[in-house]
Formats: sequence, C-alpha cells, structure tokens
Amino acid sequence: MISFEFILPPLIGCLFIVLINVYFGIHVIKREIIFIDIALAQIAALGSVVGMVVFNISEHDHSHGSSLLLPYLFSLGFISIASYAFTTLKHRKILIPLEALIGIAYAVATTLAVIVLDKSAGSDVHVHDMLVGTIMWVSWKEVLQLGIVVIIVGSFHIIYRRKFMMLTDSLPEACKVLKYPRLWDFLFFFSFGVVVIEAVKIAGILTVFAFLVIPAAISTFVQRSWTAKLITGWIMGITASFFGLIFSIKLDVPSAPVIIVLLGLFLLGGFFVYKAKSAGRQIDV
Amino acid sequence: MIDNLIFLAPPIVSTVILAGVLSYFGNHILSRGIIFIDIAVAQIAALGTMIGILIGFAEDSVSTQLISYGFTITIMILFSMMKVRKQVLPQEAIIGIFYCIALGMALLLAEKIPGGSNYITKTITGNVLWVTWRNIIHFTLLFIPVIILHLVFGKNIREVSLNGSGSGENLGRTKLFDLLFFITFGIVIVKSVPIMGIFLVFVLLIAPASIVKIFVHKWRARILWSWLVGSVGSVAGIYISYITNISNGPAIVSLLGISVYLVAFYKLFIHSPKAD
Repeated sequence: MISFEFILPPLIGCLFIVLINVYFGIHVIKREIIFIDIALAQIAALGSVVGMVVFNISEHDHSHGSSLLLPYLFSLGFISIASYAFTTLKHRKILIPLEALIGIAYAVATTLAVIVLDKSAGSDVHVHDMLVGTIMWVSWKEVLQLGIVVIIVGSFHIIYRRKFMMLTDSLPEACKVLKYPRLWDFLFFFSFGVVVIEAVKIAGILTVFAFLVIPAAISTFVQRSWTAKLITGWIMGITASFFGLIFSIKLDVPSAPVIIVLLGLFLLGGFFVYKAKSAGRQIDV
Repeated sequence: MIDNLIFLAPPIVSTVILAGVLSYFGNHILSRGIIFIDIAVAQIAALGTMIGILIGFAEDSVSTQLISYGFTITIMILFSMMKVRKQVLPQEAIIGIFYCIALGMALLLAEKIPGGSNYITKTITGNVLWVTWRNIIHFTLLFIPVIILHLVFGKNIREVSLNGSGSGENLGRTKLFDLLFFITFGIVIVKSVPIMGIFLVFVLLIAPASIVKIFVHKWRARILWSWLVGSVGSVAGIYISYITNISNGPAIVSLLGISVYLVAFYKLFIHSPKAD
C-alpha cells in the first residue's frame, strides 16, 4: 500500500493546476490559441534567465528566496510585454492568425534563452527538467505558493467571468459592450501567464499543457455550456491525476507520461460518446 | 574571404533551398491555421526513431528511418481522416494533443533506452553549419518528387487550404488531397528537422509567410515573396552569427521572428493606407 502522505502534496498540486487550467483550456480551445501556455512558459523562462544574467545570480542560489525575486519580476515583465503584443496584434489589419504570432514568440524566446545560456553546460538536462517537471517531489511550501496564485487568479476570473467569457465567445460583441476590451484581453493573457509560471515550476511544461488541452477537449466533445464543460473537465483531470500518480509510483515511471496516457484514453472515450450521441441524433432526424 | 565563402556555402545553399520548400508549405499552414503541426510531426518522428531503436536497430540504420517515416505517415493519415465537415474540436487542438501524447510516450520509452533523454532534446537543436554537400544533394533529391506532386496537384491542394473542407459531395476528394498534403509535408519535416533543428524549421515555415501575408494577397506572389524573405533572413542570420560568434540557428530564428513583430507593429501604427 502506498502511503497516502507521500502522494498528497503532488495530488493537491495537480488539483490546483486542474482547477485553473481546465477553465483556461476551454478559453484557449475556443480562441484557437492552443500553444499559448508553452509560449508563455518559455517567455517567462527567458525573462528569468535574462534577470539572472543581468544581476549575476547563479542558478544554485535557490535556497535564498530573495535572490529569486528579481528573476521572477523579470518573468512577469516579459509576460506583460508578450501579453501586450498578443492583445495589440489581434487586429483585423494584421491578417495572420494569433496562434502564428504565439508560435513565433515561442521559438524566439526559446532560442534567445539558448543564446543567453550558450556557454552554460548541461542545458540538455535543463530542457528535460523543464519539460517533464518533478511533481512527485513537490514540497508543501511550493503547493501552498501555487494554491495562493490559483486562488487569486481564480477569484479574479470568477468575479469578472462575464467579461472574459464574452471576449472569448464573441470578440466583436465584447468590443461593443466592454469599455476597455483590450485591457481585459491583456488581463486574460497576463493572469494566465502568472498561473503558468507557478504551474510549470512544479509540474513541468508537458503536464501543464496536458491539463490545459485534454480535459477541455473531452468536455468540448460531450458538453455545451461553460459550467457543464468545467465540471466534466475537472472530473477527468482529477481522476487522471489521482490514478496517474498511483500508477507512476507502482510502476516506477515518470508521472507526466502516465497522466497524459490516462487523459488520452479518457479523450478517446469522450470521442466515442460524442460519436454515439451524434449517430443517435441522426437516427432521430 | 574565399575560404569563408567556401565554408559558409553549404549552410547558405541548404537554407535557401529549405526556405523555398518550407515557405510553400508555410503559406498552406498559415491558411489552415495549424501552426504547430511541424513540431508535432517532428515529435512523432522522434518517437518513431525511438521505437526503431527499442526494437533493436541502430539509430542511423535504414530500418530505423523507415520505421520513423512509416510511423509518421500513419499518424498523418489518421490526422487527415479526423478532419470532418463540422469541426467540433479545432484541428490545432488535435495537433496539440498528438504532440502531448507523442512527447509523453517518448518520455516513457526514454526510460528504456540508455541515454534516452538525448533523443527528446535532440530534435530541439541542430546545426546548419555542419551541413555537407552530400546532405544537400540527399534532401534535394527527396524534395523533387514532393515538388512535382505539388506542381501537379497544387491547385486542388490550394483550394482545400483556402476554403476548408468543402461541400458534402467533395469530402472524399478533399480528404484525398489533404492526405497528399500531409504525407508530403511529413516527409519534408522528417528530413529537414534533424539538419536544421525544430525551431529553425518552424520559423522558416511560419515567419516569412506571416510577414508576407500582411502585405501581399495573391497566392503565388505570397509564396515567392516568402521564399525571398526566408532566404534573405537566413543569409543575414548566418552572417550575423558568423561575425558575432553565436550559433546560427538561434540567430536566424531570432532575426526572422523579431522581424515579424516589427513588421506587424509597423503595419498597425505607422503604415496606414487610405483604403482601410
């Protein structure tokens, strides 16, 4: 029997990520900017790398919390610049899809980080860690930190949910109704970026991305309203995290792939439910 | 000077050739809104290579390459079949999920192969400086049938890219051209990513096509201009990397990528023609 205490911190960590990411996932799929999370994660990483280089902080200073504040502020700064660019360039005069700009930002951020870190050894390992994360070894302190960020951003989005939903559902309408549509759009990207920084630190880009896209995709197949989608996504995400973590310990394999495979299976299930439903509808007609 | 030119000739020639092929595909991909398809394809191909190694073939062997191609093409077929008349889930989301699952599987397999995590990060890097004339002849030969196929069926494929899945009776035909598009695209990506690295391929696909799309609207002109922009960007990037002593891949990526943003902001704030 696996000791429950051991699995609790990663499970609570996953829970927070699922709660917020399913919500953002529904937005992101509707807006067709799927890779925004990987891009923001990489832009934040570039920010912290630049911050470290500017203030000459070595990566091994992790023990001193205060020395990491400056790189964090740099991350936030870079994310706000990116959010500003994404918000401003989503314009009818610019005929390229936003996802293309997001992709380019991702590529540039990654390669610039490589240029900055050029001489530092072991960057392969760094890339690997950032992809996979180490959620199994997360501490209560880190979970708490994530929890606080999720609760703050989450409440912000609950309070102003109508504005954010309108921006995603129909931009022209939002531009008519809202006083500052671009400001709210900026806040959407920026708040998501803040969440991504914390989530990726704990769970790695891959797991965070999986929680963002797959549960929301499942609920897109089987549900229509925002509330029903959210609840379906949450159930899928939390179930996959719970069994994923347990299997990962039992089989002694990394947790990220196991969670993803489980989510993938759920998605397949959701797809068949959708097929069955639409086949049923066709017979009705 | 002459020595430098001889040294830089293979990378320049290879990026100019690849910029051409990738610009063509890039315009299609931009119109279809499936931006991250090449990163997903590269990851799927890497997974195929790992499966080959796991079965017991050598990394560079023909068998492993064939498995990698076969695997990629199978997934591409699957992907083109998933396009339906009423798209519930955007194709880009399906791409994201494919990418995610392929990467997850690769991480699982990496546990079973000694030094396996190398294969995951391997797709990320790549260095044009080490391209040989042999490489160039090799991929050019491979591209020729792809180019011929697209010259013959280009019009049909373009229609699918620009107008979506089309009306009911044409769905079968549409799927056929989609299949052709995705398989040839898969081959190009699988061939070019190990040479140039994933980010350079990604940027050569998307960035020139994006810059051009802001100003040019005719399809053929878009492709030719993209090729020109991609080539100029690559050569300038290689030159900058040569004089500043940074890696050439990142130099080209940053140069072309930042240019897209500069051009877009220029268009938005400065360049405002009367007819708007």
